[in-house]
Amino acid sequence: MADAAVLPATPAARRAPGRFWIVPPAALLALLFFYPLALIVQQAFLDDSGMANVAEFVRVLHARFFLNALINTITISVAATAGCLIVGLVLGLILAFVPFPGSGVIARLIDTFIALPTFLVTLAFTFIYGSAGMLNAGLMEVFSLQAPPVDFLYSTWGVVLAEVTVYSPFVLRPLLAAFSLVDRGQIEAASVLGARPFRIVRQVILPAAVPALIAGGSLCLLLTVNEFGIVLFIGAKGVITLPLLIYSKAIQESAYQVACIIAVINIALSLGLFGLYRFAAGRLGV
Amino acid sequence: MSVPAFTGSNVMDVDAAKIRGAGSNVHFDKVSVAYGAHVVLHPLTLDIAPGEILAMIGPSGSGKTTALRAVAGFVRPASGRIRIGATDVTDLPPYERGLGMVVQNYALFPHMRVEDNVAFGLRAQGADKALIGERVKDSLATVGMSGFSKRYPRELSGGQQQRVAIARALAVRPRVLLLDEPLSALDAQIRRNMVEEIAKLHRDLPGLTILYVTHDQTEALTLADKIAIMRDGRVSSHGPTTELYRRPPNRFTAEFLGRANLLPVTVAEGAAGPKGLAKAKLGDAVLAGAGRSEKPGDRTLLCIRPQHLSLTGDEEHTNRIVGTLKEVHWQGELTHLVLDVDGTPVRVSATRLPVSLPERGSAMPLFFTPGDTSLVPEDVRG
Amino acid sequence: MLVWSRSGRMLIWAAFALVFGVLFLAPLAVILLSSLADQWNGVLPSGLTFEHYTDVAQGAAWKAVKASLITGFLASALALVSGTWAALALRIQDATLARVLGVLFFIPSAVPSVSVGLGLLVAFSHPPLLLNGTIAIVMVAHFVLISAFTFGNVSAGLARLSPDFEQVASSLGARPAYRLWHVTLPLLAPYLVAAFGLSFALSMGELGATVMVYPPGWVTLPVSIFSLTDRGDVFAGAALTIILVAATLVLLLGLERLAGRQTR
Repeated sequence: MADAAVLPATPAARRAPGRFWIVPPAALLALLFFYPLALIVQQAFLDDSGMANVAEFVRVLHARFFLNALINTITISVAATAGCLIVGLVLGLILAFVPFPGSGVIARLIDTFIALPTFLVTLAFTFIYGSAGMLNAGLMEVFSLQAPPVDFLYSTWGVVLAEVTVYSPFVLRPLLAAFSLVDRGQIEAASVLGARPFRIVRQVILPAAVPALIAGGSLCLLLTVNEFGIVLFIGAKGVITLPLLIYSKAIQESAYQVACIIAVINIALSLGLFGLYRFAAGRLGV
Repeated sequence: MSVPAFTGSNVMDVDAAKIRGAGSNVHFDKVSVAYGAHVVLHPLTLDIAPGEILAMIGPSGSGKTTALRAVAGFVRPASGRIRIGATDVTDLPPYERGLGMVVQNYALFPHMRVEDNVAFGLRAQGADKALIGERVKDSLATVGMSGFSKRYPRELSGGQQQRVAIARALAVRPRVLLLDEPLSALDAQIRRNMVEEIAKLHRDLPGLTILYVTHDQTEALTLADKIAIMRDGRVSSHGPTTELYRRPPNRFTAEFLGRANLLPVTVAEGAAGPKGLAKAKLGDAVLAGAGRSEKPGDRTLLCIRPQHLSLTGDEEHTNRIVGTLKEVHWQGELTHLVLDVDGTPVRVSATRLPVSLPERGSAMPLFFTPGDTSLVPEDVRG
Repeated sequence: MLVWSRSGRMLIWAAFALVFGVLFLAPLAVILLSSLADQWNGVLPSGLTFEHYTDVAQGAAWKAVKASLITGFLASALALVSGTWAALALRIQDATLARVLGVLFFIPSAVPSVSVGLGLLVAFSHPPLLLNGTIAIVMVAHFVLISAFTFGNVSAGLARLSPDFEQVASSLGARPAYRLWHVTLPLLAPYLVAAFGLSFALSMGELGATVMVYPPGWVTLPVSIFSLTDRGDVFAGAALTIILVAATLVLLLGLERLAGRQTR
């Protein structure tokens, strides 16, 4: 790695000897990630005898189970992202502009959610909102009900709520960074001039937050499309998403070609959203 | 924050003797630098003599920093050669050039103590331990930072950090010391002190060749033996400091180096006599000033510095112009007057004012000595 | 500063407490509570017990913790080396190539983890590269998934590093290797520690790829939590989750203190 850090920003200066240092990490990534990725694509278009076969691909595309999973995935992703944006914005505004003693600690606590496993929230939700959970038990006791009244957890909305919890920190984080750059004097001046809080939020704060919202939002889209743990843990029959479908086809049914076909589509969708995120983040300098 | 002066000169002389005589000359031979199609430095030929301080000054984007970085080896010339002493360093990597460099933001290594920062270059070059210890001690003493060797950079003020940065550069006994805007990050007051102390450092280390890049003309005027004024990637003028100031070869130099009043005049008589005085006409007034090779009838500029204009005439102040008083700004030590002379604004810096100034709008004579005046050709470009 | 009236602020803080409480605090509290719950049929558990912890401690917990820690450590260490190496090496490439390669190094973070697992199964299930059924395939899956994060963290650190440090170092005679070791890497240390911590945490919680590729006998914490809850043993699952969260937090806090000491 000796020559690995020859001077940055040097026009054509002494680059030649160092340029091969990129090969080891690039080769490692190519072998362990891009090669398997290419094989997935290859498998998607080959049948068991190794012949090129597009028919299976087309068949999966038209299959009920696939279309359902695709619609589920997109619905959940869009709804969860919208939720993340709202929750992130509300929490961010309060943390940044109506701070309270300990708000810094709270902000960091929310931040550590990024590092926690996603299925934790689902597990907790089953204790709270599950059919035998706290909420239902309480409601049944108070209103003397026979059956649990709340059962959204095992639907799309249960997944959405869990994903909002897990992914709103990804909106909150860039948002707080953007808010820290907003000129406090400007807000105070506007207040002195009699502007009401909503007006200040709309005219001064939100414009500054737009880049962070777009970047955080597109990241949420990407992560929610790829989310696996939450959906697996809720385990509702009706809520199958693309990643879950890949898992069940490959591991439970050993239908590798079908799994690869779905994976190709899921990966294409993810890469598209990744491109959107990179474009938004790069364009807006986040 | 107060900045302690460099230590007493008796200590200095001992250290200086050890460092003295390290300097080499630097030669730019048609050096040009381009980023793609964008030329940032047009072929530059320039020599810095051993032990000389050359200040490169100019506005940002003029190529001065690029020239310094080419010497350091961070920028590869598109053409031309750079020699330091007898060595052609054009193709050498920075770490084989034997330089010392000080940058605007000090760039002290934050994870190292002051002594380790100063020792860095020698350790990197594999010097033996005893030599390193001795050099670190000497270099820190030279910049008056002996008591700070165990501190971390963050525990020092800006001025102190810059002293350590200079000590770090001196410790490797550089053939050339490169100073890249070294004082720009400091407060005005500390900057003035540091300029004087760098001047003192150079008096004590007269063998040290210094390339000093700055946009501040005061630093350049105070420190430099020679100045190169850069503009749009070219040397606009180059010469001994006092010479450039007294006889600016072009308008850009006159205006960039100090303040200048430039009156458009017509040459009446070419330079003559032992002092090389020419005569030029401004309206009806005939004025004498140091000329070059102007011919009668040439239109040119008469350069006169604000502090050389006097409100009263005598035998020496024989040139006389008349202007209309426009503004008076009293600034304590100096009073700045602005007059209108034939449509050209003329600034006067007066240390002493007559008992009563004429009212604004009224006519007022100004006097100056021919020897303080020179004829400056109008720039061809802009 | 936005809301000046006392009552208005109280109202807003109450709203914050509600959202924060329902979304973030409640899940953690409930997991903790359920890991200690004796029986839970009503609103609150009927009693508290450490039984679930002792149960999982006798069961697979210790093995799962060990598998997760070893996987996390090795995968993060490899990702740190590879990510740092890549970020440093990218600086000396042509601008265009560097941009393209930079995006390629980020792509693993964009691909669904299940697909990464699937790809590894497809690619490494037969000789000469037979990894399927070994512990190595779990390490590889985790390495691939976290490599983008270490690369991103280190790249961000490098971008923030003033070029002055390295340039002054080389002008003073430091060769590239010396400069890398004594200037660049120490200055990057806080980013390296942060990258390692984040990778480790991500690895500890990884489920999608692991569940695709794990061999028998190398069951990580998330996988064993899933199999416990899937069997209906939710209280034991909660206890194991608390162990996972505690391990992750201890690790992160420890590394944060380490990073803090280095920058101080």
